[in-house]
Amino acid sequence: MILIVGGEGAGKRTFAKSLGYRDEDMADACLDNLPVIFHVERLVFDCPEKADTLYDTLLAKEIVICNEVGSGVIPIERSERLGREAVGRLCVWLASRADTVVRMVCGIPSVIKGELQI
Amino acid sequence: MMILLTGGSGCGKSFYAESLCMKLPKPRYYIAAMRPFGEESERKIARHRKMRDGKGFETVERYTALSSLELPGRGTALLECICNLTANEMFDEEGSYDDPFDRVISGVEALCLQCNDLIVVTNDVGSDGHIYDEGTNAYISALGKINAELAKRADAVYELVCGIPVVRKGALLE
Repeated sequence: MILIVGGEGAGKRTFAKSLGYRDEDMADACLDNLPVIFHVERLVFDCPEKADTLYDTLLAKEIVICNEVGSGVIPIERSERLGREAVGRLCVWLASRADTVVRMVCGIPSVIKGELQI
Repeated sequence: MMILLTGGSGCGKSFYAESLCMKLPKPRYYIAAMRPFGEESERKIARHRKMRDGKGFETVERYTALSSLELPGRGTALLECICNLTANEMFDEEGSYDDPFDRVISGVEALCLQCNDLIVVTNDVGSDGHIYDEGTNAYISALGKINAELAKRADAVYELVCGIPVVRKGALLE
């Protein structure tokens, strides 16, 4: 599994396409049989306490794309705080099991774990 | 040696900071800047305490005025975290809203002189694009400047991304 993280609009899906995936291969925050899922952070925010139930399904994907959401002021809303932290912890967990982790900054990929065969 | 660790919420900073300390000699001091305030922070503190269990840390709680702190011995110190310390210095009764920069920097400096190795944990809070009230904006700006100054003084700076240390300055500790 390749984990791709980065801020909103950082070029994560564009990068996945450069690996040969098409729009129709990508599920938007939906657990189905497509090889790629994006907006995983939205799934977590829906129910932060149950983020661990996503583990197995996400591990079975070829590509998991998640927005980084933890680099702002600590939100006043409790649910937002919990969601933000749960997204971070889920990504730590996924990264520890991923073959490759790519972090996107301004459309530029940095491979921070493993390697990419393009 | 001083190492600065940064990264967003839940990115594995604390765990990584502790694992760095485990490579460094005892005595190990954990300087906790988070004031217990309500159920959520108490739970967070309990989680951190449990994670530190058995790693040989002596916990020192210190919420403001780090510059007058005296460590009982010389060894390794882990300061967690600059975000809380800065907020305390600005918004606590003991703090001074106007000038957290000097108080935080001189505090870290004083701490650095008392140990062989210092690991400092901070956070990036300026990347959500929101415009906040005056106090919060002042906090974001102060913390950004403090982080930049600490990075200048640190031997190494790592950004934790999904639990992975990305080197921003210096080299990884072997």
